[in-house]
Amino acid sequence: MSSSISYKDVKKTFTGSQVVHALKKVSFKIEPGELFCLLGPSGCGKTTLLRCTAGLESLTSGRIFYDETDVTTIPPFRRNIGMVFQSFALYPHMNVFENVAYGLRVRGVDESTVKSKVTQIMDLVGLPDVLERNPSPTALSGGQQQRVAVARALVYDPQILLLDEPLANLDAKLRRHMRAEIRRIQKITNVTTIFVTHDQEEAMAIGDRLAIMRDGLIEQIGSSDEIYHNPNNAFVSNFIGKMNFFSGQITSTQGERYTVKLGKEDYTMSFTPKVAPDVAVSEGDRVTVGFRPEHLKIKPVSTNGEMQGRVRIIQHLGQVIRYEVVIEEQGQERTIEIDMLGLVRGVGEGDLIAIEFPEQVGFLFAEGGED
Amino acid sequence: MAMKAKEEKRGRLSRVLQKDFTPYLVFSIPLIFLVIFLVWPLLTTLVRAFLPAGRTFSLGPFSLANFERFSTSNLYQGSLRNSFIISFSVVFFTLLIGVPMGYFVARVKMPFKRLILSLGILPVIMPSFVGAFSWVLLLGRQGFARSYINMFLGMFGMELPSIYGLFGIIFTMTLTYYPFVFLLSYGAFEAVNPLLEEAAMLMGAKRKRILRTITLPLVIPSVGAGAILVFIRAMGNFGIPAMLGGDQYVLPTLIYFRVNGFWDINGASAIALVSVAITGGALLLQKFIISKREYETISASRSENELHSHPVIRIVATVYCGIILLVSLAPQITMFVMSFFTRWGSSGPEGFTLANYTRIPTIASRPILNSLFLATTASLLCAILGCLIAYITERRRPKGAIILDLAIMAPFILPGTVVSVALISGFGGDSWLPLTGTFAIILVAYVIRRTPYVFRSVVASLSQLDPTLEEASMIAGASWLYTFRRVSFPLILPGIISGTILTFATLLQELSTTILLYSSGTRTLPIQIWGAVADGKFGEASALSTLLVLVVFIVVYGMNRFLGQSISSSFKTG
Repeated sequence: MSSSISYKDVKKTFTGSQVVHALKKVSFKIEPGELFCLLGPSGCGKTTLLRCTAGLESLTSGRIFYDETDVTTIPPFRRNIGMVFQSFALYPHMNVFENVAYGLRVRGVDESTVKSKVTQIMDLVGLPDVLERNPSPTALSGGQQQRVAVARALVYDPQILLLDEPLANLDAKLRRHMRAEIRRIQKITNVTTIFVTHDQEEAMAIGDRLAIMRDGLIEQIGSSDEIYHNPNNAFVSNFIGKMNFFSGQITSTQGERYTVKLGKEDYTMSFTPKVAPDVAVSEGDRVTVGFRPEHLKIKPVSTNGEMQGRVRIIQHLGQVIRYEVVIEEQGQERTIEIDMLGLVRGVGEGDLIAIEFPEQVGFLFAEGGED
Repeated sequence: MAMKAKEEKRGRLSRVLQKDFTPYLVFSIPLIFLVIFLVWPLLTTLVRAFLPAGRTFSLGPFSLANFERFSTSNLYQGSLRNSFIISFSVVFFTLLIGVPMGYFVARVKMPFKRLILSLGILPVIMPSFVGAFSWVLLLGRQGFARSYINMFLGMFGMELPSIYGLFGIIFTMTLTYYPFVFLLSYGAFEAVNPLLEEAAMLMGAKRKRILRTITLPLVIPSVGAGAILVFIRAMGNFGIPAMLGGDQYVLPTLIYFRVNGFWDINGASAIALVSVAITGGALLLQKFIISKREYETISASRSENELHSHPVIRIVATVYCGIILLVSLAPQITMFVMSFFTRWGSSGPEGFTLANYTRIPTIASRPILNSLFLATTASLLCAILGCLIAYITERRRPKGAIILDLAIMAPFILPGTVVSVALISGFGGDSWLPLTGTFAIILVAYVIRRTPYVFRSVVASLSQLDPTLEEASMIAGASWLYTFRRVSFPLILPGIISGTILTFATLLQELSTTILLYSSGTRTLPIQIWGAVADGKFGEASALSTLLVLVVFIVVYGMNRFLGQSISSSFKTG
């Protein structure tokens, strides 16, 4: 019932007033029943990839398969897929029932089956009583419209469900609630689902696996845990979770242990980092060193030979306290973020502090490529 | 390598075969229609303009003889000069009347605003030649109002010029067309974001300075658009100069004269070409000068207390608007009164009678039925055609959509007489498709000229329609046709209806195209009125006009009630 989706060398170029290479060469596979997130900054090609998957855009070259079937040239209405749009695209001239029943009626399903199927799906999306009043969708709240849109896309048991930033129009609290709902509904129906978003928190929370996209290419595919802990490159590491970058130069290597000279004051540190696959490191190479905010610590300024910075802002984020620290690197100021579990006594905004680097964690990336 | 190419080819073939061809089939209908009934007649007109008089359509021998008359003939030169004098004067006077009126209604606290806006639109919905003959009754040689005005003017040693001639034409046209300027400038004054003006006020500018440096520059694009519209209309108007011109000709009446007097289609084509060049020039002017200065005006609601409320300004504004309305509606009132009398003497109407109305069934039932048939059929055809073309250009965006856009909008600016000449030259007796003298040629002329109304109206609705609504339908498994029937069509229906009703209302009173195309069997109501005026049967003409105006008003008013719009907004598209 639910099928896999395979992309083979998919390319999409928009020609018009200006040529845009929206998808450069994309190949990967989504497994049946998977909830797969496409994540990336705006303009990275994620929506284009989704629209190509639906058949709403034709490919410039390459092939797309549902299971073993080549669907590249099949128009959307012959594909048996469901889609939820960012705007929900509910029909204002039809009531809720007619909206949800639309896909069934298109398929010529008899009215008694339509009725039972619509009732069933409205139960599933958690709106069983809306059908009693059966208003126009414009009279519903954003969250209810969202559920109706999901119901409409699922009612005819599609092979594939496509969600194009479906939560973007909801407020923050509702968004968190709805993403759990979408995951619950997806797990019940077990339909192969692609979820497009630019919100990394949303993607990490909802997806079985995610693909990080940038400039029409896929940077990395994996579970959120894999990507968070083993990012392929500096861009991915900073897109999935926050990463502080320092430019450095390797002075010596010893097995998995690297000694790196950092920053302007030639602060030297040695640690055992995870080395990204995009970098081959040897002595004397310039690299980008990355630490997550929770890896770094703040300590009072003491001796020489430590990296110093000035605290700009202290933010209380609930479970952690985030220190924004301004450091100077090659004559330029940059801000790094350090998360501490509690307030550091005696350190206030504007104070000079020292940064303590860990010895067991951290990342090594190729130079540049942070953004 | 070769195999790969082959595979590629097969892929492309299967891609073509898998496509849904319904849209292409459906879209080819309007394209074929446009090629046959617009492109072909315009091409023949272009060719025939360069053929000597009397020659049938052929590719040569070409000459400039038809155009040389513009430098040799007094009649031609006079017509061209008159057309320019009239058009520019009308633009000048409509601006003079319309802009202050727009400003007053938008910015001064005064009573009856909605009424003023509704009445203001009336002169445009009324047949303009009806206005012209009513003015003859009022200001003609023995006109009812003429003696009073002359008495007043006599104190200054002046006299009202004759209603026949340039004065009458300019006077009547100004009163017919000022609503374009009035309504467009009203809209612009309304739309200027009050924050911009408040900002200027906070920076220390006085009211006059704000008007000069902020408000006026912001409304100039709209006012300019109104002025161009008036210019094009004035250039193309046939009824008023035909009724009031006397021995003064303008380009449309000159065309009529060439066709009806000499059956010289080639000569008429040349005149048509000149008048197209003039309107085309006016449009280019608008595109390059005025639309460059178009600003995004973010509308914000204007609160009551920002309006002028000084009593003097309020009185001036109310009296001004009242006088303009009274004068511009005087012909309609005259016509209505006249319809119950036998004669209009120097002291007013004489001889009360209902005969003008009771005679209608015997003398005019055929023209009335013809008008209803032609207007209904043409409106429906316009609806289908305009709707399809709007859909293609808005949704499919095929290569060359801009050409389609231009093709559909072209007749909008072509004077009615020019369209007639093009159709006669394309479908005359010697053509491969002889249509002259039939209902068909009038229908074609109506459809070609009025499809832009529906087209614009539907384009406006479509641009409001989120494309994902249609995509969602395709995803749900619906074909193009199903999607169009169930999703797109119901959502753009209000746009289609309002465009079609407007088309119907304007076609009922169509004169300038019909005048060259009708035959004894295809007379329409406006032609009948026109004939009655020419024969001096003012009572009969008034009764028929009243009937016509009543029908037009009911139709437009009914539509506005039904669609919940105000009458004035339906005319913003022009």
